[in-house]
Amino acid sequence: MTESREIEKNSEKDFIINIEHLNKKFIVDKQPLDVLKNINLQVRKGEFITIVGHSGCGKSTLLKIICGLVGYEDGVVERNGHAVVGPGPKCGMVFQEHRLLPWLKIKDNVGFGLKDLSKEEREVNVKKHLELVGLAGFENSYPAQLSGGMSQRAAIARGLANNPTILLLDEPFGALDALTRIQMQKEILSIQEKENTTMVMVTHDIDEAIYLGDRVVVMSARPGEIKDIITTDPIESKSRGSATFASYKKTIYSYFFEDSQEDYEVEYNI
Amino acid sequence: MKKKSIQKILLGLILPILIVVAWFLATNYGNIPSGILPTITKVKDSFQELVHTGTLQKDLLVSFGRVVKGFLMASLLGGVLGSVMGMFEPVRDLFAPIITVVRQIPIIAWIPLIILWCGIGEVSKVVIIVIAAFFQVLVNTESGISGTPGKYVEVAQLYKLSPWETFSKVYLPHAIPQILVGLKLALSVSWMAVVASEMLAATSGIGYRMSNARSMMRADIVIVCMIIIGIVGIVMDRLIGWLFGLLTPWQKYEKKEK
Repeated sequence: MTESREIEKNSEKDFIINIEHLNKKFIVDKQPLDVLKNINLQVRKGEFITIVGHSGCGKSTLLKIICGLVGYEDGVVERNGHAVVGPGPKCGMVFQEHRLLPWLKIKDNVGFGLKDLSKEEREVNVKKHLELVGLAGFENSYPAQLSGGMSQRAAIARGLANNPTILLLDEPFGALDALTRIQMQKEILSIQEKENTTMVMVTHDIDEAIYLGDRVVVMSARPGEIKDIITTDPIESKSRGSATFASYKKTIYSYFFEDSQEDYEVEYNI
Repeated sequence: MKKKSIQKILLGLILPILIVVAWFLATNYGNIPSGILPTITKVKDSFQELVHTGTLQKDLLVSFGRVVKGFLMASLLGGVLGSVMGMFEPVRDLFAPIITVVRQIPIIAWIPLIILWCGIGEVSKVVIIVIAAFFQVLVNTESGISGTPGKYVEVAQLYKLSPWETFSKVYLPHAIPQILVGLKLALSVSWMAVVASEMLAATSGIGYRMSNARSMMRADIVIVCMIIIGIVGIVMDRLIGWLFGLLTPWQKYEKKEK
C-alpha cells in the first residue's frame, strides 16, 4: 500500500505540466462567459499531447494559460512543479500565424528570446535550430521573403531556440496546404524525438491529432470541457491507413457527432 | 516599362514649358512693368548677382540653420511624447484632447503671440518651427506606435522583454515607416514656417530677403527666392525618402509580396 503510494508520488513529480480543476471565465458584455470548465490534465516529460475541439472551445486559451500569457483565477496550473505566474524561457510557444517580426532578419527572429547569450553563442544556437527545421542559409532573409511553410518553420525554430522543456503549438499548421502540412507533421515528430521536448499542440485536424499525439485530448465547446483523453498506439497511430487509426478517428468523430445530433433534432421539430 | 516612364516625364514637362513660354512672351512682347513681372533674363541675372555677392548663400544658411534647430527639437519632443502616448493608453487619454484642439490653429496664427513672448530674434523663429513641426511628428509617431499589432506585443511578452526592449524591438520598428512620414511632413512645414516667420519679422534669412525685395519692388529677387525655396524643399523631401529606404530594408520585400 505504502509502496504504491510512493510510486504514485514519484510519477506525480514526473508531470511537467499539471492542471487541476482549472476554470476560466471571460467577461463579455459585462456577462461572465465560461471558457474552460474543470480542466484536469497531467503531461509527462517528453510526451506529445494533441488537443482537438471545435473552434472557440477554449483550446487556445488553455495554451495561453499554460505558458502564462493569460491569467487564471480558479484551479491549479503548474509547470515543472511550480505554479504558473507568467511566461518563462523554458516554455516556448508557436502560434497559428507565424508571428515573425517583419523588421527582423530570420536569424534575429529565431534568436529573439536569446537575451543572455553572447553574440557567438547566439549565432551558433540560431544556426543549429535553423538547420533543425531545414532553413539553413536563410539567416539574412526577411520574413516577407519566405513562403508560409518556411515562415512557420522559422517560428518553430524560434520556439525551440532557448531549449524549452515545453513547446506549446497553437494550430501551427492550420494555414498550410495539405502537402506541406503532412511534411511539417513528420518534421515536428522527428524534432521532438531529437530534442525530447514535451509538446502540447492544439489542432482542429483530427488526423493530425491522432498522427502526432501520444494522447489525444477531446474537448467540447462552450464551456470547454475535456470529454475524453485517448491514448494512441505509438506504432499504429503513425500509419494513417491502418484500421486502428480509423477506429481512433471514429471514436473522436463520435464525440463531435453527438453534439451535432442535438442540432438535427431541433431542426426536425421545426 | 521604360517607354512609359519617358512618356510620364514628357507629360510632366508640358505645363512647366508652357508657363516659361507664356512668361517669356508676356515680358518680351507684352506691356508688363518689370516691378510686377521681370523678364527671365533679369531673374537669371539677379540670381547670378545674388550668388556672386554671397547674399543668397548667407540667407539660405541662416534659414537652414533655423530649420535644423527647430526640426530636431520638434522631432525629439514629438517622438518621445508620441511614443509614450502610443504605448500607454492613460497618457494618450491625458494629452489627446488638448493636442487635437491646439493642432487646429494654423502656424501663421501663432506668430503674433510668439513675437510678443520671444521678440523678433532667433528664438522666436525656432519656436515657431518647433510648434509647426512638433504636431506632425507627434501625431504620426503616436499612430504608428499604438497601431502595433497585439500579436507582436504578445511575442515580446512571451520572451519577457523589458518595456524598453519591447519598445525598441517591437513598437519602434513597427512605427518607423509612419514616423518617417511624420518627419517628412515636419520638415516640409518647418521650411514653410521659417519663410513665413522671416517674412513677418526678421533681419536675415531667405524669407527676409523676399520681403525686403518686395518693399523695393524687386520682383526678380522675389522670384529667385521662390524658386530656391521650392528646390530646397524638394531636396529635403528626397533626402528623407532616401533615409526611408535605408531605415526600413524589410519593406521592399513586403511590397513585392502584395
